[in-house]
Amino acid sequence: MTTPFLQIRNIRKAYGDVTAVNDVTLDIAQGEFMTFLGPSGSGKSTTLYILAGLQNPTSGDILLDGRTLLDTPPHKRNIGMVFQRYTLFPHLSVGENIAFPLRVRRKPKAEVDAAVRRALKLVRLEGFEDRMPAKMSGGQQQRVALARALAYDPPVLLMDEPLSALDKKLREEIQYEIRRIHQETGVTILYVTHDQEEALRLSDRIAVFSKGVIDQVGTGTELYANPATRFVAEFIGDSDFLKGRIEATDGKSADIRIGEHLILPAVSVHGSARPGNEAAVMLRPERLTLSSTPVSTAGSLAATVKDVTFLGNNTHVLTETATQEVLSVRLPFGHEAAGSLRPGQPVWVSWDSSSAHAFCT
Amino acid sequence: MLLDFDRLGAWKWVLVTITALVSLFLLLPIVFIAALSFGNSQWLIFPPPGWTLRWYRDLFADPRWLEAAWTSARIAIAVTVLSVVLGLFASLALTRGNFRGREVLRAFFVTPMILPVVVLAVALYAFFLKIGLNGTFLGFILAHLVLALPFSVISISNALEGFDKSIEDAAILCGASPWEARFRVTLPAISHGLFAAAIFSFLVSWDEVVVAIFMASPTLQTLPVKIWTTLRQDLTPVIAAASTLLVLFTIALMLLAALVRKGMKK
Repeated sequence: MTTPFLQIRNIRKAYGDVTAVNDVTLDIAQGEFMTFLGPSGSGKSTTLYILAGLQNPTSGDILLDGRTLLDTPPHKRNIGMVFQRYTLFPHLSVGENIAFPLRVRRKPKAEVDAAVRRALKLVRLEGFEDRMPAKMSGGQQQRVALARALAYDPPVLLMDEPLSALDKKLREEIQYEIRRIHQETGVTILYVTHDQEEALRLSDRIAVFSKGVIDQVGTGTELYANPATRFVAEFIGDSDFLKGRIEATDGKSADIRIGEHLILPAVSVHGSARPGNEAAVMLRPERLTLSSTPVSTAGSLAATVKDVTFLGNNTHVLTETATQEVLSVRLPFGHEAAGSLRPGQPVWVSWDSSSAHAFCT
Repeated sequence: MLLDFDRLGAWKWVLVTITALVSLFLLLPIVFIAALSFGNSQWLIFPPPGWTLRWYRDLFADPRWLEAAWTSARIAIAVTVLSVVLGLFASLALTRGNFRGREVLRAFFVTPMILPVVVLAVALYAFFLKIGLNGTFLGFILAHLVLALPFSVISISNALEGFDKSIEDAAILCGASPWEARFRVTLPAISHGLFAAAIFSFLVSWDEVVVAIFMASPTLQTLPVKIWTTLRQDLTPVIAAASTLLVLFTIALMLLAALVRKGMKK
């Protein structure tokens, strides 16, 4: 078996009594685009800063190509980094900013000039060499920061929410630029964000952080279709939860009782599933459908329509079950039921049983 | 805006008058001393009965005046350099450091600004008497350094607080060692603060008289001390000439500072 390119081994970081990162272990392949996704305070940025060397872990190890990085000071790690805030050197022009990492490496002038030209071409800012950072937009500044971080061909590029200060449209534009640059250069990228859409759009794999630990690692599709924890289910995509109790289980799937009469058969379960345990059943709005009679081949639940909102390509229907729980249903435009729904109307909410997941605590 | 100058009507002229009076109040002594320095009256009569450049000739003919000016300049330059260097290190510790009593230390650095200068002068005199620094060049520099440091610490700390540390981190990730990053990135980025610290430090030393009177010896005098002692011995318009030049030099420095600041904003 070959050693993974970048290994994060049991990293822990504690500040006094607070544990910011708790035993994080992750392997990253060469050329992979790995995103750390999670809310603020989940430990994703701290892990990135430990990789950069700007913070030291309390315990654990980081291995690059099988060798530890921890005894190398940050300026000798040869890692590129783009920060959340604008970090261009204010007294230097764009060209001098990009040349900076090569100049501190004492590269000959011709090589520096060629690298600056190549990096500017990569981020599509040819001709901006002499511009001062203060005269550029936020998006342009972050592109220059990206060019500067790639100018010395680092094996790993770290990005700490680089687009969070930009507006939505510009953010999407630069997301595509980052994807293109990743494909063109083949650099291994570790990207931190709290924006699930950004993570899904950019990444090969996503590590979902919650309270200092990684809840799940996988491709966007895997995380969406098979969330390992309730947190992942809530964080990626929209979801609603029904309270239930496990009737019978084989550890992988379970029959779950909802309310008095309904039993959902063979729902895949996560966590400690034992008969009698409480379970939260996750349903995604876009996997639900509405009908006037129960659907025999799938899970089905009687509910009342509370509110109907037309949103263009879909219609959002808010329903309430007999147990006073709220389920959102998203019907695609043109769905036969969408036009005739009125608040107060009784309906059946149905789903394909493979789309439901139950989480036990 | 509510208080738009153009919409104030008659009040506008009231404001203009008040501003003019305040300006006059501030400028009149300087205009007065400048006029006296060109007046031909030996007894500083105002308005001068006639005009002359005699006092300036006398001033430049007397080596003691030139020597005092040269002493002042040397002390002020040494104080400026030391104050900016020490102020920079102190500010780095005060803004970047994470240690107990940081705020107390910050307040301590500013105390020379608040303490009555004469108290400080007496204290320094007593202390320097013990270690034999009174009347020496080094004694002058150290004494003025105490007065100048608060200005440096305040200007440089403010500049450092306005500087995002992530920029320094970015330089380190780019391959610069921590000190290289500070010298090549942080220092140029806070140069306006360093420059302000230098100007203030220079001026503090250049026109300081109270501490200087205590430090001075018959052979080592700064320009303000020379003006003071001359004033006490014989009242001559040469003092007016020296004062005028002192003011001119200070104005030139302030103008230079303003120009540099304007240039940096571009």
